[in-house]
This record gives sequence, C-alpha cells and structure tokens, in this order.
Amino acid sequence: MNRKVLLAGLLLVVPLLGVLFANLGRNPHAVNSPLIGRPAPPFTLPPVGGGAPVSLASLRGRPVVVNFWATWCAPCAEEHPLLGAAANALGADVQFIGIVYEDEEVPVQAYLRGHGKAFPSLMDAGSKTAIAYGVFGVPETYFIDPDGNVAAKFVGPLDREALLANLRKAKAAVRTATGGTS
Amino acid sequence: MTWRGALAVALVLAAFPVRGQEPSAAAADPRAIVGPPRGQPVSGAVLDARTEDVASLLRCPVCQGLSVADSPSTTALMMKAHVRDLLAAGYDQEQILAYFERSYGEFVRLKPPLRGVNWIVWLAPLAALLAGAALIAWALGARRRMPAAAPVERVSPDVPGPDTLPDDPKLAAYVKKARELAYGWPGGVRAQPDAS
Repeated sequence: MNRKVLLAGLLLVVPLLGVLFANLGRNPHAVNSPLIGRPAPPFTLPPVGGGAPVSLASLRGRPVVVNFWATWCAPCAEEHPLLGAAANALGADVQFIGIVYEDEEVPVQAYLRGHGKAFPSLMDAGSKTAIAYGVFGVPETYFIDPDGNVAAKFVGPLDREALLANLRKAKAAVRTATGGTS
Repeated sequence: MTWRGALAVALVLAAFPVRGQEPSAAAADPRAIVGPPRGQPVSGAVLDARTEDVASLLRCPVCQGLSVADSPSTTALMMKAHVRDLLAAGYDQEQILAYFERSYGEFVRLKPPLRGVNWIVWLAPLAALLAGAALIAWALGARRRMPAAAPVERVSPDVPGPDTLPDDPKLAAYVKKARELAYGWPGGVRAQPDAS
C-alpha cells in the first residue's frame, strides 16, 4: 500500500518538477515575437510635422531599426539619445525610424524640437502599424535586415551593447566605434 | 421609430465608412496574412455584436488577464476598432484571430486553439474527472466488500477465545483464576449449557 501511494505521488510530482526545472532559466516577461524571421509588416506612414509618407518597402536593401516610442514614456526618453547618436554615426548604412505610439502630434513635435531629431518619426493613426508589429508597450525596437525580414525584437530601453548586438543580427556592418552615450 | 426604421438608418449610416479603410497609410494588409475575406461583410447592430464577440476572444496585450472587449485601455480600443474594420470587410472570426496571432503570438488568443501541447489544457481536466470517478468507484466497492469478510477474519485464529488456555500450565492456572474472579465460573471453566 505504502509503495502504491509513493508511486502515485511520484507520478504527480515528478512531471511538475520537470516543468519547473525546464523553465527555471526563462524570463517570464519575455514574449517571443512570432514575426522574427518573417517579412516585417509593411507600413506607409506620414512623418511628424508633415511631409511625404515614408514606406518600409522604400528602405529595402539596408538594415532598418524601427523604434516604437511616445513622449509619455520615460524609458523612451532614456534611450532616445543613444538611438540619435547611433543614427548619426551609422549614417546611410542603417535607417532608423521612429513610430509614435499612442501619442499626439503636438507634444511629439515639441519633444523633437527639444531633444533633437536624428531620424524621422512617423505618426501611426489608429495604432495599425503597432498592432501589426505586436507591440505590447513602449519602448520596443524591431531590427529589420536588408531583405525586409524581422531579425530581432528588443523590449525596453536599449543600451549600447544591446543595440550593437541586435544591429549585427540585422546584418548591419557595425564598426565598434559607433558613437553612444554609454 | 420602428425597428424597421432603425434598421434603415443603420444601413444608411453603414454605407458611409466612419473610419476610412486604410486611406493612404497602407498598413499591414490582412489579405497578405490571412487571405481574402471568408465571411460576409457585416454592418449595423450585427457588426457591433460580432465586434464584441471577437474582441472577447482576444487578450489585451497591455492588461493583466483582460480581453480586448473588457479593457478600457487605448491599445484595446485600437485593437477593437481594428477588429471592427476587419469584420466590416468580411473577414471571419478565425481569420481575425489568426491575423492578431501573427503579430502577438498565440498569447493573444484567450481560448487556446486545439493543437499541439494545448490538447493537455483541454483534456487534462476531463482525464482528472474520469480518474476521480474511478477512484471513488473503487473506494466504494472496497468498502462494500469489507463488512462481509471482516468479522469472521477478526476473531480467529491467533486471538484466543474464552475457552482456550495457554500451553504453559503455570500461566493457565492464573488465567483460570482470573476467569473465575471475572465471570464467576467455578474453577475458571465455562459451564456447558448443552450438557443438562
């Protein structure tokens, strides 16, 4: 009888322990994007402050960094200088694009006047592009390779190392001398 | 105004698209992801009801365990508007869920689809129920079998009865004495009722 109880207990507990140990190293907050390795959702969006709409398709042939941000988002402000510096340093090698997430054009324009505008930011009315990319919150950054496929997604504010590592995933020829604030 | 009148007004209103169908900004085309619409375009009250239905099957990505239909967040409202547009364009429920799944992953479905490891989620409760029923049936059966067998088994053969005596003569004498005192049997031996 005791042996039976022990066996039944083990039968219940061992699989649970297996699941526990299999997931111990996993970050419960990381949601893997199903878009990685797939063609990046296309978009054609108007830039902040007006002008000709920018389409992702027109940028094919070089890596594109798509950064979803908002003026109400503190971590976005944290990473903004790094993104600007990287955009200036890499020039035409990598195209940086900002997509404004759930924000109004007026505060965005004011923010860009104050903080500098190293790369274009686009307005995403109705959040259609954010939804197509599966944005959970800001900041989120998508690294698109020259063929137009999503190579990587980064959630949260980027630091220099993460930016460089993800740029390499997107097949960007990054020189280690890339300017950065950190 | 009769319901017929209300319907007419709804139809007229539906003829004017409130949100333009992707005006200049061609965002991700659902057709490229889930193919051409498989259902019929809906409008008016039906569209409202279907929007709620489908939105209740989508998880709001910025909330904790809320559906898109239940969440007041801007993201959820935008997703709901998107669901509405897709329904109005004739996409069916499964196509719409697949469209959002392509962006957010299976996580976005509040009801996990029957495939792969998800079968466990659907079958485990049923299996547990059956196992519980089997356990109860087994326990009840065991209890029913027990009373018939138990008393007979208990009183024998290693439990000494009132007529048996230990082998040790010295100990036997004490047992007899004790029985005489306790039961009033002369000499510690039970009187034979059948003898008389």
